[in-house]
Amino acid sequence: MAQIPNLDNSPLNLKSLREQSQRDLVKILKDIRGKKCLVIEPKLGGTLSLIIQTSLLKEYGIELRHLSAESVQTDCSKVVYLVPSQRDLMKSISSHVHDDISKGLQREYYIYFVPRREIQCERILEEEKVHHLITIGEYPLYVVPLDEDILSFELDLAYKQCQVDGDTGSLWHIAKAIHKLESTFGAIPNVRAKGKASVMVADILDRMHTEEPMNSSDMALSEINTLILIDREVDMITPMCSQLTYEGLIDEFLRINNGSVELDSSIMGVQQEGKKMKVPLNSSDKLLKEIRDLNFEVVVQVLKQKATSMKQDYAEISTANQSVSELKDFVKKLNSLPEMTRHINLAQHLSTFTSKPSFLAKLDMEHTIIEASSYDICLEYIEEMIHKQEPLINVLRLLILFSVTNSGLPKKNFDYLRKALFTLRELLHSYGFEHMATLNNLEKVGWLKKQESKSNWLTVKRALQLIVEDTDTANPNDIAYVFSGYAPLSIRLVHNAVLSGWRPMEEILKLLPGPHTETKRAGITSSPSFATLQGASNGLDKIADGRRSLVLVVFVGGVTFAEIAALRFLSAREGMAYDLIIGTTKIVNGHSLVETIFERFG
Amino acid sequence: MANVSVAAEWQLLYNRYYRKPELYPLRWKNIDLSRNKVACAPFGGPIAVIRDDSKIVQLYSESALRKLRIFTSSGVLISDTVWKNPGGRLIGMSWTEDQTLICIVQDGTVYRYNIHAELIEPNVTLGKECFEQNVVECVFWGNGVVCLTEGGLLFCIPDFKVMRPCQLAETGAEDLPNCMAVIEPKYTVSGNVEVLVGIGDRILIVDEDGVQTVEGEVVQGLVQKMVVSWDGKFLAIFTHDGRILVTDINFKGVLLEYNCESALPPEQLAWCGLDSVLLYWDDTPLLMVGPRGDPVHYFYDEPLLLIPECDGVRILSNTSLEFLQRVPDSTVSIFKIGSTSPAALLYDALDHFDRRSAKADENLRLIQKSLPEAVEACIDAAGHEFDVSRQRTLLRAASYGQAFCSNFQRDRIQEMCKTLRVLNAVRDPEIGIPLSINQYKLLTPSVLIARLVNAHCHLLALRISEYVGMNQEVVIMHWACSKITASLAIPDAALLEILLDKLKLCRGISYAAVAAHADKNGRRKLAAMLVEHEPRSSKQVPLLLSIGEEDTALMKATESGDTDLVYLVLFHIWQKKQPLEFFGMIQARPLPRDLFISYARCYKHEFLKDFFLSTGQLQEVAFLLWKESWELGKNPMASKGSPLHGPRIKLIDKAQNLFAETKEHTFESKAAEEHAKLLRIQHELEVSTKQAIFVDSSISDTIRTCIVLGNHRAAMKVKTEFKVSEKRWYWLKVFALATTRDWEALEKFSKEKRPPIGYRPFVEACVDADEKGEALKYIPKLADLRERAEAYARIGMAKEAADAASQAKDGELLGRLKLTFQQNAAASSLFDSLRDRLSFQGV
Repeated sequence: MAQIPNLDNSPLNLKSLREQSQRDLVKILKDIRGKKCLVIEPKLGGTLSLIIQTSLLKEYGIELRHLSAESVQTDCSKVVYLVPSQRDLMKSISSHVHDDISKGLQREYYIYFVPRREIQCERILEEEKVHHLITIGEYPLYVVPLDEDILSFELDLAYKQCQVDGDTGSLWHIAKAIHKLESTFGAIPNVRAKGKASVMVADILDRMHTEEPMNSSDMALSEINTLILIDREVDMITPMCSQLTYEGLIDEFLRINNGSVELDSSIMGVQQEGKKMKVPLNSSDKLLKEIRDLNFEVVVQVLKQKATSMKQDYAEISTANQSVSELKDFVKKLNSLPEMTRHINLAQHLSTFTSKPSFLAKLDMEHTIIEASSYDICLEYIEEMIHKQEPLINVLRLLILFSVTNSGLPKKNFDYLRKALFTLRELLHSYGFEHMATLNNLEKVGWLKKQESKSNWLTVKRALQLIVEDTDTANPNDIAYVFSGYAPLSIRLVHNAVLSGWRPMEEILKLLPGPHTETKRAGITSSPSFATLQGASNGLDKIADGRRSLVLVVFVGGVTFAEIAALRFLSAREGMAYDLIIGTTKIVNGHSLVETIFERFG
Repeated sequence: MANVSVAAEWQLLYNRYYRKPELYPLRWKNIDLSRNKVACAPFGGPIAVIRDDSKIVQLYSESALRKLRIFTSSGVLISDTVWKNPGGRLIGMSWTEDQTLICIVQDGTVYRYNIHAELIEPNVTLGKECFEQNVVECVFWGNGVVCLTEGGLLFCIPDFKVMRPCQLAETGAEDLPNCMAVIEPKYTVSGNVEVLVGIGDRILIVDEDGVQTVEGEVVQGLVQKMVVSWDGKFLAIFTHDGRILVTDINFKGVLLEYNCESALPPEQLAWCGLDSVLLYWDDTPLLMVGPRGDPVHYFYDEPLLLIPECDGVRILSNTSLEFLQRVPDSTVSIFKIGSTSPAALLYDALDHFDRRSAKADENLRLIQKSLPEAVEACIDAAGHEFDVSRQRTLLRAASYGQAFCSNFQRDRIQEMCKTLRVLNAVRDPEIGIPLSINQYKLLTPSVLIARLVNAHCHLLALRISEYVGMNQEVVIMHWACSKITASLAIPDAALLEILLDKLKLCRGISYAAVAAHADKNGRRKLAAMLVEHEPRSSKQVPLLLSIGEEDTALMKATESGDTDLVYLVLFHIWQKKQPLEFFGMIQARPLPRDLFISYARCYKHEFLKDFFLSTGQLQEVAFLLWKESWELGKNPMASKGSPLHGPRIKLIDKAQNLFAETKEHTFESKAAEEHAKLLRIQHELEVSTKQAIFVDSSISDTIRTCIVLGNHRAAMKVKTEFKVSEKRWYWLKVFALATTRDWEALEKFSKEKRPPIGYRPFVEACVDADEKGEALKYIPKLADLRERAEAYARIGMAKEAADAASQAKDGELLGRLKLTFQQNAAASSLFDSLRDRLSFQGV
């Protein structure tokens, strides 16, 4: 099965988007005549695997390499670098060029920046005195469809750059990406944003509209009805919790990269010692589509059921005389066998993690923190983790969860502050002083800070009903099933924004970080956007133009699989007359988010 | 019938009619074509006139200095200038496609003039050989020229937009060619210019790479003159024996052959459309030859100049401009004497209708079925008319007929009216662009507008572009720039007002481009005012920088949210200003400041330190120093010899002092102090153990390593030195002992005193190491019954677990345990059986 997702069922024509990106890339490669060595930055290479098959690239006379510090070994006289516009990469490239010069190699160099050339990069090339040797171009890849309802801007570091470094380049990128979508699918009439970065994106988007006005005819044709921008900063709680959906768990334990997960082949029942294999995870896999968003407990049940029924069929087929049509049905079912085997293997592998007492204890602790029932137990638990030198990221996840729900490490009671500081000291002692930089970053981001005001968490939790008792994970009636009892804050916000806009919940929004805005673009007042969404339940609008309204939900700073699951759950519910497309800087989890903040000295 | 007079002016060439309506009586005075070199641009373009210095002429009351004068096609003077260019005699003069006048003089210098007779710098030269050998002849086409030198060499400028001359292959012949003709690059197979050269009795095809001789029977003997048709497909040749031949461009087949009485070559040989060829000797009538039938003679008593167009020839004389064209079929069908075509009848019907005669109806009835075709013919004929009243009559006829057609495309008339309005507007003698409808279609409206703008007919250009629904940006932009150039006397504020008034007509127009033009004209202040109105930051910011408005540029770049723009400004200022001034500019601006820090962190460490010091952010400097100390450690030199420890610790000490400066950073200060201390201890440990495994590990790791190495004293020392809590100490030691699998020591340790955190660490360490037996030593000691139950459960002792749980009287726990056991067993056995079952597929 291909890693490139099948986008046929997408509510938007994402296929055309991907094909455009393919064409752009092929054009770049075709325009450089002759044999050439294509050097791709590894992460970008991963992204490109969602756009085009590498085997296709080879047709254009290409030797493929990954960018590293070592110089490029090739016989080609043309070297084409395809890299994101990141400063640190420029040094490697410059050193490659210098290396070639010192060896007396004469080569033509090209750098194609993704998605655009940036002065800061060119400046370094100039300072390294190689700028004049290089032909510079752009590959305007702003958006990559990850699946039929997910778009990624592939900005892994967006959150860190914005919050730690104050570099808001990624916000411009997001706005540009949305603007590009608008030029294909029509201007989006309603924009709702919550969070500082989101509001900035909305502002930049507005600017882009005034700078390059769209024809009013484009406005009328808008396929996307509403844009909702949510800042990760608004809800740091959800990603710090352990995801409990099938796909979420796979991501937590095995890390999903570019729509696939890499595993030891032995886990998948292929006996090849020590070999890794890639398992694609996207909606082309029918079974996955069915179970990816279910709570893992339920997934096990479903798989069990399916296997049992298959077993029964098999037994019947081998005993009794079957008619041809019955045989045909059976064979049809057999086709789903590889998918079944794959997921049974995966699920079994996951259950080795989930059955560990330490995992259950962690879940317990997360719930304790979310319910904000006891400082002491939490801090003690965290301290013990430090003493046991458990992986630092796990410690930090809980610590951040603790700090965020309390809007800082509590200081009203001197004892707690002392304890908290003591905890940090213990952390440095256990993991090394180099993590001082990480702590400094965490403070800049606001994930770890001293408490300055009373926490709003309890109010927010109650007002939005974030804790749902008695969640039936098998037949859920609320999004809380994705965390077995906790309804992700971000999704509650999105849900309300889609249904009724910000206005009815102003009071709660004020308790959450960052401003919020709601704009209706001029010139399209006639379109029944808002009303459509509100009057959705009567279903009349659906008939009017034959399809559901489309909402683009953009998470600035990343979204987790559990949140995606919750959104899909919402849009599949009866009485919801909208389809959702999710845009995100990157798909994240607590682990990867904390990792970006990680910075060691040296 | 009224139609007779129309057709009476036509001449018949075999079966085709030709007409030559007068476009303009020329408004110029005292211009004698025979005394002057004249260059006329096609598509009704301007006419350049200069006294011919190769002829001896009598000067009347004029200056001896020659004047280059540029007229419209109607003879209205646009501009003039005195010709003072060095380089010898003017050899060739012609207009390019974008209406630049190219003048080539003897020494190969190319002078370029715009329509306002302003010299366009720089001049280009055709090269050294041309300079030495002198140019003797030039053959132009729309976008290039081929020059012949006295030495018989050929030079070419293939594209006037690039102005890059090149030499063509040498012909090798000793004689100079008799004649030349050029096949434009766009019509050749190779895409390069090909020159047909008649030398002796051969014809050569010369291009950049080589020379070919034309083979074949078609042309024999000396050729005196050649002209290629405008579509590059045919060639007209005047031979030595006075015959005119037309062949296709590959010399295959003769399409026309006519024997002229004169063996002298005609002065001018021109294609009239693609149907006939005109020959002009200055003392005989103008001769028009077609493929068949007798030629037509036109009588003139003044010198003429033939200007070939795509659909005819314009004939310029001293007093008038005429347009010789084949009469369009639609016009013939209406106006031919005795025509009974539907169109003619329709035209006639209108006449009757106007005179209120019933015959109108009769006519209509006659042509009932072919009415649409008649209407179409009237519309088409109207398009080809130059006479406005006849256009009107024809269109009225069309409209009259249309009323009786049910299924005629109604917008055809409207469209034609639109086109004609545009054409009539530019044909006005004041504007003087006599385009025919075919020429207009070939030229395209946008080029026409560009030409109007170029000739400073901005208002007309604006109205036309509005009328035909085109973007007016080009016109307004050009107007604004011209206005600025022309308005040196108007003060900035007033001029700004004037400009804005017009610029706002066009959405999305680039104010920055206008501002850049103002700046180029030395009006920096106006530029600054204009650029303020530019909505596109990406255009605004670079301009602001170039006019020295750095502060505003920084502000605008920040507002745009485009970090790349901010960097553009940052680097600009960084380069230009002193560090302190630079720091001052960015310090109060968060985005530029943060971007600078982020860049400098990666690339300009020392400079960043200066910044932090100058802005008093000592803790940031401290962090940098601390980081440096680590980089020092990563340096391979550091691990070899100990001397580098000194510098490292020194850096950390410095960092600590800086942290200590502010109260908020006591935590950091303390950490730095401890770090320095740790490094010292680790260094000592490495010396004493002679193992380089301590430096850069954490305190806990150091203790562990000590214990693993069996150096319990050192471990104890580290513990006390850093006041390691008893809890941590127990966890560390228990796990360290478990790593070495020293179970005896572990047991001893457990008995040292009652462990401050109970026996859980001991149990965990043993369970993790998979030592059930060892674990059982400690499980019973667990104080909490629930913990005990779970521990039993972990090592798979279900019964003991259940006992402990029931002792604890915890039903919930009991249930859970039971479930775990069941589920695990059931689940795993289920999975196993499933795998067996499914493996028959071979997956």
